[in-house]
Order: sequence, then C-alpha cells, then structure tokens
Amino acid sequence: MEPITIGLIGIAVLIVIFLLGLPVGFAMALVGFVGFCLVVTPSAALSLLPREFFETFSSYSLSVIPMFVFMGSIAFVSGMSGRLFNAAYILFGRMRGGLAMASIAATAGFSAICGSTSATAAAMGKVAIPEMNRYGYNRGFAAGCIAAAGGLGILIPPSTIFIIYGILVQESIGKLFISGVVPGILLALVFIGTVFIMCRINPNLGPAGGETTWRQKIMGLTGVIEMLIIFGLVLGGLFAGIFSPTQAGAAGATAAIIIGLVRRQLPFSAFWAAIKDTLQITAMIMIVVGGAMVFGKFMAVSQIPMFISNFIGELPISPMGVMGLIILMYILAGCFMDSLALIMLTIPILFPLVTKMGFDPIWFGVIIVMVTNIGVITPPVGINVFVIKGVVPDVPIASIFKGTLPFLAGMILVTALILIFPQIATWLPSFASY
Amino acid sequence: METQATQRQRVAEPYGFIHRLEKYINKLSFWLNCIAGAGLIGMLLLVVADIIGIKLFRSPIPGAIETVAFLGVVVIGFAVAYTQVLHGHIRVDFIVMKFPPKFAAIIDVLMLIMGMSLFVILTWYSFEYAQVIRASGEVSMTQRIPFYPFVYGMAFCFGVTFLVLLVEFIKSLIRIGTVWNR
Repeated sequence: MEPITIGLIGIAVLIVIFLLGLPVGFAMALVGFVGFCLVVTPSAALSLLPREFFETFSSYSLSVIPMFVFMGSIAFVSGMSGRLFNAAYILFGRMRGGLAMASIAATAGFSAICGSTSATAAAMGKVAIPEMNRYGYNRGFAAGCIAAAGGLGILIPPSTIFIIYGILVQESIGKLFISGVVPGILLALVFIGTVFIMCRINPNLGPAGGETTWRQKIMGLTGVIEMLIIFGLVLGGLFAGIFSPTQAGAAGATAAIIIGLVRRQLPFSAFWAAIKDTLQITAMIMIVVGGAMVFGKFMAVSQIPMFISNFIGELPISPMGVMGLIILMYILAGCFMDSLALIMLTIPILFPLVTKMGFDPIWFGVIIVMVTNIGVITPPVGINVFVIKGVVPDVPIASIFKGTLPFLAGMILVTALILIFPQIATWLPSFASY
Repeated sequence: METQATQRQRVAEPYGFIHRLEKYINKLSFWLNCIAGAGLIGMLLLVVADIIGIKLFRSPIPGAIETVAFLGVVVIGFAVAYTQVLHGHIRVDFIVMKFPPKFAAIIDVLMLIMGMSLFVILTWYSFEYAQVIRASGEVSMTQRIPFYPFVYGMAFCFGVTFLVLLVEFIKSLIRIGTVWNR
C-alpha cells in the first residue's frame, strides 16, 4: 500500500477512535505507532515510541507548561479571581449590565495570569455568576457571558495554546504571547460593548448593581495591582528578553505564591490543591503532546502534509480563500473536538501549506486561537459551556449555549478584523526582542 | 449445603479482589503523584535560583537547564498514572454517552484494550530503551547526570498506568455482565 493511502486511513481511524472515547493522546500515539510500523518498519516504530515520549517529557522548552499552569492554579486557589472581580465591579457595577461588564473585565485580568480557557471560565464563573444571580440577571445570559469570556484565557498571555503552537511550528513563544495582547483587549472591549448593547435593548437581562463605599473602592484596587505585578513581571520580562518562557513562568508562579502568602490566602491545603491541579493538567497536556509527536512522525513519513499542501496549492483558489476554508474547517471541527487535540492533529498537516502561501506564522497562531475560542462555546462539545454548567447546575445547558450567542457574534467580528487587518496581531510582537 | 451468605461471599470474592487491587494501585499512583509534586517544587526552585544567580550574581547554576529537563520527566511521567485514576486524560465522550448501555459498555472495553496495548508496548520498550541508554553510558553535558534512571522511572510509571487501565478493564467487563443480565 502507498504511504499516502496508509496516512489517509490512519487519519480516518484516528477520528473514529477519538469519537469512540479513547483518550486523545493515547489514540494519537497508537495510530501513529501502527502507521509508522506499516510505512517504515515495526522495529523502527518500537524504538520511536518510547523515545518520542521521553524527549517530550524531558524537553526544556516544554517545561514552560507546568510553570504557567502552576502560576494560574496558585492565582485561582489564593482567591485572585475574586479580588479582580471586586476591582472591576467598582468600575462598572452601577451601570445597567455592569456586573456582566465587570465580569468580562475581571476575566480579561485573570487571563493575564492564567493560560487556560476552561480554568479561566471556572475561576470567574464561581465568583461572578452568584453575584449576577443575586442582582436578578438573566441566568442564561450571565452564564453564557462567562463561558464566552473564558476564551480570553488563551488569547491574553500566558496561553497554553500559544505554547503548544509555538513548539509545533518552532516560533518564539514570547512573540506569540505578545501577539495575543491587542486582540485580547479588543475582544474584551467587544464583549463589554455587546453587554452594553444587549442591556440597552433588554434592561431585564442585567439590572444595575449596588453602590460601593470608598473603603471598598480602595480595597478593590489592590486586586488590580497584584495582577499587574504578575503580568508585568511575566510579559515585561519576555518582552525585554530578560526571561526565557520557562523562567517567566517560574517568576510569575513565585510572585503568585508570595502574594498569596503575604495576603494569608494560601494555606498549605490550597497550595497542595494547586500542585495537584498543575500535575494533572500538565500530565494530560504532555500525553497529548507525546502522542502528537508520534502521530506527527507517522504523518511525515506518509507524506500527507506535502500531499495536502500540493493538492490545495494547485486548486484555483486565492490564498485568502484557502485561509477561509481552513478557518471554516477549524470552526466545524472545533464543535466536536477538544481545542488542544485539534491543534495537535491539524497544525503539523496544515502548517506547511500556510507558510507556502506566505502567511505570517504569528498571525496564523492568533487566528487559530480565535477560532479555537469559537469552538469552546459551540455545541455539542463546547467545553466552557460544560464547565459553567458545573458551576451553575440548575441552568439548562441550552440556555447557556443561547446566552453565548451574542458573544459568538463578537468573536466572529474580531476574527474577521484580524483577518482584514493582520497588524492587530503582528504590530506589538514586532517590537519584542525574544 | 451452601448457605445464602456463603453463596453471596463466593460471588463477591472476585469483586473484593478487584476492589483491593484497585485500592493498592490507586495508592501507588497517588504516591507517584506526590513524587511528581516534589519534582514540580524542585523545578520551580531551581529555575528561580538560576534566575537569581544570573541576574544578581552573574553566575548561572551549572547544568540548570538539563536538570530542569530531567525534572520534567519526574513531573510529567510520575503524574500520568494518577491522572488516569482521576480520568483526567482528555477524551471525547459525548457520542459514547448517547449509545445504548450494552453497546457503550462494549465500546468502553474495546477502547480500554487499545489503551492497555499502547501502555504495554510503552512500558516494555521504555525498559528496553533504558537498557540501551545505560549500556551506551549516555550522560548530560554539564552535570554528567546519566539518562537511564529517568527512562527506567518513566517505564515504571507507564507500567503503573497500564495497571490502572487493567483495573478499569476488569471493572468494565463486570459492568458488561451486569448490563447483559439486566
């Protein structure tokens, strides 16, 4: 059998066993291993399998993942999400829909210390949704707002998706992080604007909140300052080339621990919970990365990426048209697949095509994160919607999906803007030195 | 004649064995996870010490990068089994959840067989890989730390993950029996 045929069958088998529930990393490793056996030799595949996993686990560049995950976990267990919400509430609280706006602003702030979309949604959901319920917000709207805003977690640095993408395509993680800043702020502003318009049209969606005292105002500010310290340390260090990504993550995690200890908000039980959380998330990600490495080797020897690149390259479609198709594919596949798995599976196959067509890898990374964000709130596998459902079990899942719809429109708008004006993503990283 | 109680005991005996096995394997996975936790703290301290060394004293810790890389094996490898105990490895389950119970139970068993096959191969050949590296005497560049103990560690953890999957497999076989008898 031709290597390309084996490769195509491999992709089909992988998708089937994905959908039948084999963990994503296991499925990629297994199919990659069997495929490599068939295309090369069984003995080559048997030596490839443990080697790829060992090299993944012992990769210094991947050690950035546990560091940033740890930073986010410490921020969560030491109550930073709550303090950020209090700070944002002071700014927006008294406006109509103000609590929802405050939640989005606080989510954007928390995204600056947490690199995962579902962790951001969970952290802010636990803090913000009960408050919105207390003030009589429409429950689907409140839940949908946080589910969508959680997407800021992987757009505003740090971001696990940018790290994985950067390693897959060998781009600077620092530059990728910085490229997410402007689109992240833009998306947060569009979300806030969406809340503003929605609550003008239907004031029952989000009534105004109560007044805050001066004492609350001053206390609230400290919540922003601690976030700015961590964000400034991490991003400033990366931007100026002082830290490597792993060092930036470690510095951020240490700063989060020190802040938690100074505030007396980090008892040992919370610290241990953060460690456990970090270990399980890291192991989950790394097994997917290891599996994807094996699968990627299989794809390379089956020459699928080259075949797809040549095939699409010869089609009478403009590069922008091809990009449109790629985005459409990501949105559709994102409805059914986990974002990390989708990126791991598709980037090694599609990236050669993207560079061949002359697109900027950093810009493409931002586009990928944007479409991934759409995937986390679209049915049937909108992970953030399920995370929020876990926070508010009494709100029907359909109401949460409905609540995300206006924000989905906002995401599509920002994605379109980045497509038309790539500078939104590429301007800031052009100043970065790392 | 067998009393009802002994009959019940005879039926429950193999299940009791599975529960005990599960308890021991979960405990082992938990302790491995604790080692991974120590590795994480070690990694953080090492990177921070290295930053301080470079920025304040202009002297980095010798071999910090390679040691962080080795600690990566501890942090990740030793946490894999416990992550499986917690069902933390991401999977798509919304389709299987819609299947009729009998069919879903069979699919579950098939997927576990695939998972176990992967981890048997991973365990076996990671041990072989460790032996090859040990024989070749491969060490890190600066600190001259040998690679092979870490590969053995990874192989052992894959073996424990296999055992976690094995227990799940036996439990899902029992579940098939229950679904069928219903």
